[in-house]
Amino acid sequence: MEDYKFLFKVVLVGNAGVGKTCLVRRFTQGLFPPGQGATIGVDFMIKTVEVEGEKIKLQIWDTAGQERFRSITQSYYRSAHALILVYDISCQPTFDCLPDWLREIQEYANSKVLKILVGTADTFETMILERNKFLCFVIQGNKTDRDDREIPSAIGEDFAKQNGMYFLETSAKEADNVERLFYEIAAELIEQARSKEMPRSETSGGGISNLANKSNYLGQNEELDERYCDGQPSGKWMMFIPKTELDAIMVLSL
Amino acid sequence: MSIIRCCFESVELPEFMDTMASKCTDPGCCCGCCSALRPRYKRLVDNIFPVNAEDGLVKSNMEKLTFYSLSSPEKLDRIGEYLYQKAAKDIHRKRYKLVEIAMEAMDLLLMACHAQTLNLFVESFLKMVQKLMEDSNANLQILATNSFVKFANIEEDTPSYHRRYDFFISKFSSMCHGNNDNIELRDSIRMAGIRGLQGVIRKTVSDDLVENIWEKQHMEKIVPSLLFNMQVDQTTSLSLTEESTPSSPPVLAESVLRELVSRASFTHIKSVLRPLLTHLDRHDLWSSNHFAIHTFRIVMISIQPQYSYTVVETLMQHLDQNMKSSPRTKTSLAVVLSKIIAIAAGESVGPSALDIINNLLTHLRTSTLSIQNEVNYADELQYQEALINALGEFANHHPDYQKIEIMLFIMNTVPDLSKTSKGDQMLQNILLKSLLKVGVQYRTISFEKAFPVSFLQPLLRMARAPHIPTRLIVMQIFQALLDRHQNQSVLSAVSVKNYATLSLENPSRSDIIFTHKYGSNIKQALLDALSLDDSAEAISSAYNTAALMIAEMCCGETIQEFLLFILGIQQIAIANSELTYNHKCHLHATAVALLALLGRVTGVNNIMEYCDKIIESRQEEAEYLLPGFDDTEKNDIDSNSLNLPHLMIDKLALAECLQNAGMENNRIQTGAPYSLNQLDQSNQRHSWVEPRGSIAEFNNYADSDSVNSSPIPQRKSLVIELNFDAMKRALAEPTEASKREAREKQQQLVKTFRDANFEDLMRRTEPKHEVIQNRLNDLFNSLAVERQITQEHKNHQSNKPIYEKHFPELFYY
Repeated sequence: MEDYKFLFKVVLVGNAGVGKTCLVRRFTQGLFPPGQGATIGVDFMIKTVEVEGEKIKLQIWDTAGQERFRSITQSYYRSAHALILVYDISCQPTFDCLPDWLREIQEYANSKVLKILVGTADTFETMILERNKFLCFVIQGNKTDRDDREIPSAIGEDFAKQNGMYFLETSAKEADNVERLFYEIAAELIEQARSKEMPRSETSGGGISNLANKSNYLGQNEELDERYCDGQPSGKWMMFIPKTELDAIMVLSL
Repeated sequence: MSIIRCCFESVELPEFMDTMASKCTDPGCCCGCCSALRPRYKRLVDNIFPVNAEDGLVKSNMEKLTFYSLSSPEKLDRIGEYLYQKAAKDIHRKRYKLVEIAMEAMDLLLMACHAQTLNLFVESFLKMVQKLMEDSNANLQILATNSFVKFANIEEDTPSYHRRYDFFISKFSSMCHGNNDNIELRDSIRMAGIRGLQGVIRKTVSDDLVENIWEKQHMEKIVPSLLFNMQVDQTTSLSLTEESTPSSPPVLAESVLRELVSRASFTHIKSVLRPLLTHLDRHDLWSSNHFAIHTFRIVMISIQPQYSYTVVETLMQHLDQNMKSSPRTKTSLAVVLSKIIAIAAGESVGPSALDIINNLLTHLRTSTLSIQNEVNYADELQYQEALINALGEFANHHPDYQKIEIMLFIMNTVPDLSKTSKGDQMLQNILLKSLLKVGVQYRTISFEKAFPVSFLQPLLRMARAPHIPTRLIVMQIFQALLDRHQNQSVLSAVSVKNYATLSLENPSRSDIIFTHKYGSNIKQALLDALSLDDSAEAISSAYNTAALMIAEMCCGETIQEFLLFILGIQQIAIANSELTYNHKCHLHATAVALLALLGRVTGVNNIMEYCDKIIESRQEEAEYLLPGFDDTEKNDIDSNSLNLPHLMIDKLALAECLQNAGMENNRIQTGAPYSLNQLDQSNQRHSWVEPRGSIAEFNNYADSDSVNSSPIPQRKSLVIELNFDAMKRALAEPTEASKREAREKQQQLVKTFRDANFEDLMRRTEPKHEVIQNRLNDLFNSLAVERQITQEHKNHQSNKPIYEKHFPELFYY
C-alpha cells in the first residue's frame, strides 16, 4: 500500500564515469548494468525503504557527470535533501575534482541556507561523501580492485571529515555497502526531520500568536514549507499546515 | 448503513449482486465478500474495472460513475482518493492494464467535472499522475503525461494555493533527456516530457497564485531541456530535419519554447534568457553558431515586440562577460547579434538605439586596442568584422534621420588625428569602417541632411589623415553619401571616356545652397588628400569622390567653383616641387578627367570642346598626362615636359568658354584656383588659439562689412601661381603691401583676442554679432531675389551661425 511517512530527495553528483548510475541501479533494481552508457541530463528513480519501522520514500535523482549538462543538473541540487558526492577510488582525477564539486554545491546550497535561516546549526542537507569502487573493467572482486586502488580509504575519510560529510566506500558490482549507504541516508534524514518536529509538538499548545505572524510566514521561502510538507505523511499534510506555521514562527523567533 | 441504502435502491440490487459475484473471482478485490458493506462510490469505482484487464474500461459503468460524481460532487474527492489507492496497488503489483484503466477513468471524471468542484478531485488526480511517473515503466510515464496535459488544458477558475509542480517540472525535464536504447520509445518519452513541460507552463503562467514558473530553479530545468531537444535536430544529419514531422521532439520543443517566450513579460524574459545563454555556453554552441542563431531567431520572433530590445541587451551583456574568451566565441556572439539586431531595431528608438551603438563601439575599441598583443590576429579581425556587421544591420533598420544621428555619434567617437599611435590609427580605421557601414545604408536625398556641419567637419579633417587606409575609408564614406544615382562604380577609375551610362539629375535648390556653403570645404579637403600621397589607389578614390560631387552638384550656378577646383589640382601638380614625378602625372590626369566629366555633366559644349582639344594634344605630345598611363613607363620622361603651357588647362580659356556659353564667368576670372591647406578656407580649423585658423576667421569679420566686394584679397594674394598669366597678373598688382597691411591687422586682432580679458572681448564682439546677424538676414532676403555667384562665395563664409564662429570647438560635440 501507498503509505510512506517521509519523502526525501537524494541527488547524486560526481564526475562522469564514476558509476553513479550503476550505484542507483544496483540499489533500486538490484542489478549491475554492464556497459552502462553516459547519463543524459538527469535520471529519476524511486525506492521505498523501511527504517525503524517507518516507510521512507526516496526520490533519487541521478545527474549526468558530463560538463555540458552542468547547467541543468545544478538546478536539481537546490531541492535535494541529501547530496551524494561520488568518486572513483581507482581514478585520482575524480577525487581531485571533489573540492570543485563542493564549491558548486555550496554555491547552490548557499542561497538555500540563507533563505531558510533556521537557528539550527546543521542545515537540512546532508552531504555524504561516498566512494564507489568502479569495477566495470575488473573481472574479480575486491582483491583486484585493491590493486587498482589509487586513493586509500584514509584520504577519502579525511576529506569527508574536513568538510563535515559522511563517508562510505561502496561497490556497485559487488553490491557492497550500497544498501547501507541509502539506509544510512534515510536514517539520518529521519533523525533530522524528527529533531525538527520535536520542538514543534512542544509548542503546539500555544498557537495564539498564529494570526499575528501569519503574514510573516507567508513571506517565507517556499522551500521551507515544501520541505516540511514532504516530510509529512502524504495523505494528510493539509492538516499539518498549522503546525508548519508554528514551526516557522518558532524559526523566526530564534 | 450501506446495506440499508442498498435495500432501498432496489433497482441497483441485481446489478450489485452481479458485480459481487464477478468481483469475487478477482484476487485484487480485497473484500469482495463484504462489498455489500462498502460505500456506494467504492462500488461504482470497482465496477468500472473489467473482469479481464484486457477488456478495458467498462463503459456503461463508467457512465454511471460519472453521473454519480456529477450529481453528488462532494463525493468526488473520495472517488479520486479511492481510484488512486487502487491504482497504487496495481502499480505495485505491476498490473499495468488496470492502472491504465484507472487513469482513463480519472481523465474522464476530470473532463466531466465542473470547474468549481474540480479542486477536490485534482489533488488525487495529480497524486495519481505523480505515482505513475515515479514508476520506471516508460509507458506509464507517457500515459501519466498525457493525462497531465489534459488536465493542464482545463481552465480552472478557483485558485489552488497548495498545489505544487516541483516534482512535475523535475520529472518532465528528466524525461526530456530520456535516453532509451529504442529510438522510437526514446522519442516518445522525450515528446511526453516536452508536452508535460508545456502543460506546466500553461497551467502556471496565467495563475499568479500557484508556483511562479519563472523562478530560477524552474527555468533552469525547462529551458535547457527544450534546447537539448531542439539541438538534437541540429546535431543529427540534415536528412533528419527534412523528415521531421511536426510531432518530432525538436519541432515540439521549438514550439514550446516559442510559447514560453511569447508569454514572458519584461521581468521574466531574463529568466528565460539566462539559462539559454548558459546552455549555449555549456554545450559549446557558439563556435558553430547555427544553433545559436536559430534559437535567438526563435526568441526574437516569438517575444512580445516591446521586449525584443531586452534580448539584444542581454546578449550584449553576455558579450561583455565573454570579453576574455576566445575571439571565435566572441565572433559567433557578434554574428548572432548581427542576425537578430535587425529584428529589435524597429522597436528601439532614441537613446536606447544609441546605447546599443555605444556598446558595440566600446567592444570594437577594446578589441582594437587589445589586438596588438593578440596571437590570433585573424580571429580578432573577424570578430571586429562581425561587430561592424552588427552595427550596420542595426543601423539599416532605422529610419534615415536616425542613421544620421548614429553616424554623428560614431564620428564623435573616432579618435582625433593628433593621436598617431598604431592602436589609435587602427581604431580610427575600424570606427570609420563602421561609419561607412552605416553610411552605405543611408539613402541620401538632400546633402544638407546627409552632411550636417558637425558631421562634415570631423569627416573632412579625417580626409586629410596622413594614413592612406584611413583616407580611403573616408573617401568611401563620402562616395556612399554623395552617390544618389548609383554612379559610383561608373566613376571609380580615372578616365576621360564618355560616360554614356552616367545617370544624372539637376541638383535641387537646397543642394546648390549646400554646395555654395560647404562645397568648397569638401573640395579643399579633396585637394589636400590628392596632394598627400602618390598612391594610385588614394588618388583614384579621391577622384571618385570629386567626380561624384561633380555629377551630383555641378550645374550652371556652381560650375565656376568646380572649374577653380580643377585648376587647383593642376596648380598643385605644377607648383609643388616636392611631389614626385609620378604624382604630378596622376594629378594632371585627374584634372583633365574631371574637366571632361564636368563638360559632360553640365553640357557646356565649349568646355567639352576645349577639353577634347587638350586631350588630343596630350595624346600627341604627352600621353603620360592622361589617365590610364602605365606608371612604370613614366620614369624616363623629362620632368620639364610636365609644365608645357599649351597642354595645361588654362583658366582664361575656361572663362572664355563660359562666356561664350552665355554663363557667368566673373568668379573664374577673378577668383583664384583652390590650393593647398595653407590657404584653407579654415572652416575646418576652428581653434582660435591656433594662429592660422584665427587669421582666417578674423579676416571674415573684417570682410563681413563689405560683403559685396568681390574676392577676398588675402586669399588671392597668397596664391602661388607660376604660369605666365598668373605671373603677369601678380606683377600688375601691388599685392605685397596690401598683404603686409592685412597681416598686421590680423596680428593685431589676434593679439587683442589673446590678451584681453573675457568681458572686454564680450563687449567688443557683441555689437558686431548684431551687425553680422542683421547683415545675414539682409543677405538671406536678398538671396531669394537675386543670386550672384560672386556674392555667394562671400556669403558662405558669413552664413555660418554666430556661435560657430565664436565657440566652434564647443559646438562640435
